[in-house]
Amino acid sequence: MADEPTREWSDEQLKSDDLPKKDVITFIQDNAAHSFLNEHKLLGNLKSVAKTAKKEQLIIAYNQLFESKRFKGTEPVEDVTEQIRTVKIEDKKELPAEVIDEGPPKFKKAVLKKGDKTNFPKKGENVSCWYTGSLEDGTVFDTNLPTTARKKKQSKPLSFKVGLGRVIRGWDEGILTMSKGETSRLEIEPEWAYGRKGLPDSKIPPNAKLFFEIELVAVD
Amino acid sequence: MALEQLSDVVQRCQALPDDSYTSEDHDVFTISGRTCIEEGDSAQVLSIVLDEKNQEIVRCMGWNLLPPLIQVLMNKDSEKLSQCLAIFNHLLQTCRPKELLIGLLEQLEQDDPVAIAESLHLLLKPLQRVLLCLGSRKASSLGMTLCSVLDQLAKLPLPHTKEQEEDDVFSLCRCCNDITDFVKPFVQEARQNLQNREGNIQRADRVGGELGRDKEDELRTELLKFCMKTLSHTLLEAQLKDPDTLPESPLRDFATDILSSLSAVGESLPSLVFQPLLRRRQVPGFLEEEVRYPKESLACLAHLLFVHHLAADAFPSVFSPVFALRCNMEHVCLLLSRTEESRIQKGLELYEKSLVRVEDGSLPADLLEIRSFLTVPQNLVKVMTLCTRHDLRTRGLKVLQLSIDKLNTEAKYNFFQYMLKTSSHSGVEGYVIKNIKNQIDAALQPGNSNSWFEGAQLLPLLRKVLVLPDGPETDLLQYLDRIMESLNLLRYLVIRDKVTENQTGIWTELYKIEDTFLKPLRVGVNMSRAHYERELHDTLATKRGKVKAESMLSVSVGKEKLPNMTSESQIQALHSALHTFDMIESVLVRIEELTEVKENL
Repeated sequence: MADEPTREWSDEQLKSDDLPKKDVITFIQDNAAHSFLNEHKLLGNLKSVAKTAKKEQLIIAYNQLFESKRFKGTEPVEDVTEQIRTVKIEDKKELPAEVIDEGPPKFKKAVLKKGDKTNFPKKGENVSCWYTGSLEDGTVFDTNLPTTARKKKQSKPLSFKVGLGRVIRGWDEGILTMSKGETSRLEIEPEWAYGRKGLPDSKIPPNAKLFFEIELVAVD
Repeated sequence: MALEQLSDVVQRCQALPDDSYTSEDHDVFTISGRTCIEEGDSAQVLSIVLDEKNQEIVRCMGWNLLPPLIQVLMNKDSEKLSQCLAIFNHLLQTCRPKELLIGLLEQLEQDDPVAIAESLHLLLKPLQRVLLCLGSRKASSLGMTLCSVLDQLAKLPLPHTKEQEEDDVFSLCRCCNDITDFVKPFVQEARQNLQNREGNIQRADRVGGELGRDKEDELRTELLKFCMKTLSHTLLEAQLKDPDTLPESPLRDFATDILSSLSAVGESLPSLVFQPLLRRRQVPGFLEEEVRYPKESLACLAHLLFVHHLAADAFPSVFSPVFALRCNMEHVCLLLSRTEESRIQKGLELYEKSLVRVEDGSLPADLLEIRSFLTVPQNLVKVMTLCTRHDLRTRGLKVLQLSIDKLNTEAKYNFFQYMLKTSSHSGVEGYVIKNIKNQIDAALQPGNSNSWFEGAQLLPLLRKVLVLPDGPETDLLQYLDRIMESLNLLRYLVIRDKVTENQTGIWTELYKIEDTFLKPLRVGVNMSRAHYERELHDTLATKRGKVKAESMLSVSVGKEKLPNMTSESQIQALHSALHTFDMIESVLVRIEELTEVKENL
């Protein structure tokens, strides 16, 4: 993360009853490193954290976050990825009902940067993303990321309607589990990518497992 | 004489205040000035034009001298070339851009290929310079210029072979280069405008304003029109060569430049190609979608992207092959519905490329409810049966087979039924029946069984195959392909499927097939044979008797009457017909033997 978050609330404000616990939790979850959240038992969905955490704890955590500066993105990405990779992805709800006997999803997701956890795209909604696709050996076969930061203004993220089979299955299913602002690494089995045929014109060989790093920038 | 007149009018005008010259002054200046240049007095004209005192006159009226100057510049061999070039350059610097633009555009209009190419080569640079002088008001003038440039380009013959493109006899390739250079600064400006505008919109969003969001950038629109027209005219006609065949291809470069211009003016290539399936939001205030994005241009774009892989970097590799096929189907449909060979070839290439990406046996039956998936096969039949080029006919058949291979079993089943109903061509029907046989064969392999090509579902399809279209009166020669494939299928079924297993249901259906197919066919064969034997007999008798019977029939091709068949070739044709009936009968007999033996068991 390029710039650190700024303190939004003073001690006075934090103690005041006008500030709901949920706001503080959201702020900390959005800004703190994964390990920090873990230590302070602030991982998990908003409701359950709000139930278990007392306001005092939250104030301490909030202050410690700014003292220790353990913001999101300050720890090596690999660590986060490693931890999350072991978390089993629960997306059974996302699978269409009519599809049976398909076994588990043919992709794995590792969250590199959490999204807002509220704006999840629904089927048929338009999503925009930056992405880089590479093969198992690391060869990048496609990206829409501009080569320099200056050029980012000139190019546009890829946008399409998600969940309608317009993109490879791994993308459709994977993006439906992401929320706005999230950056994830998808590891897609060939069955949900370009399969036995591959896409020789785009340097994708037959039966290739594909790796995409996707940043979901907009959902509308 | 003309020189004196010119000096007179210039002297008179020197005394007049700016821009108060009469129309007579204009006329005299124009006529005498032009005559001087034509008569070779360009040195004198040059000194008049350069004279400090005359600059206001030149600014107002100088552009009238363009026609004879450009004539000299285009011919190149005149010894006055350098003087005329000097006058020309001075006019470009001094005259008002609006009038210069009109003067230059007039000179662009040529009819002879050599003159077209020469004038484009000579005038595009000056035109660019003049347009750039127009500043922010240039969009419509640029549009006008590009329109007339492309009209000129369309008059030049396109190179077809690799050698023609290399030799570039008609300079079309050079013109394409010139055009690319010509549009470059305008594309650059449009790109810049777009970035600025997006910056503004972002800023406006932050303060909640609506600054300039709906304002259409005219320059962008004109460039978009240019790209679209280039695609649907020049590039749709041209057959680009692959880098393996032609490492350096000006036409391919031209196409690549057009695609990158499209991206530069803010058009995303995937959205353009997938346009038929993506309803775009209306762009306020300007053209209707159809006019803005002509279907032919989009089809050509799809061909460039999918077949030639131009601008591959700008096209994401994340789209699903089925989605790409669905979109391209609309383009294929458009291309194959035309009769021009260039369109048909492009349609076949695009269809093939889109199919190859899809896995065999994967396309579901509901795709066949989409109109283009039904129209394209019909167009393919037309190509296979009517196209004058043999290579396109065979390619059509290859693509048809490929499209069948991609369907899943249910879709194949529906597709065969549809083709039998609509193709009304014995050869095509025969081909479909052969495919049905292959599918049954596949279904009967151990572990491959499916509900479509065996058992109860198969029978309705078989009933469509094992019939004679017009009963015993069916023209057996016309329907030969279909009849032979049907007989082959039936023979295959009674050999392959055991009467005790009856997996295909054929054995319980035989008595019906006997009535609808075998019996009428036997009658038909007997009638036809009798008829043709009689004909043969008569023809032989006529020949022996040397009596020249007047033919009842005459065949004309394009109003020209073909000579009557000689009696030798008549006899030959009759023999070959009789031979065909023997062939049908032999298969018929074989089927009878096979079914009788089993019945006796």
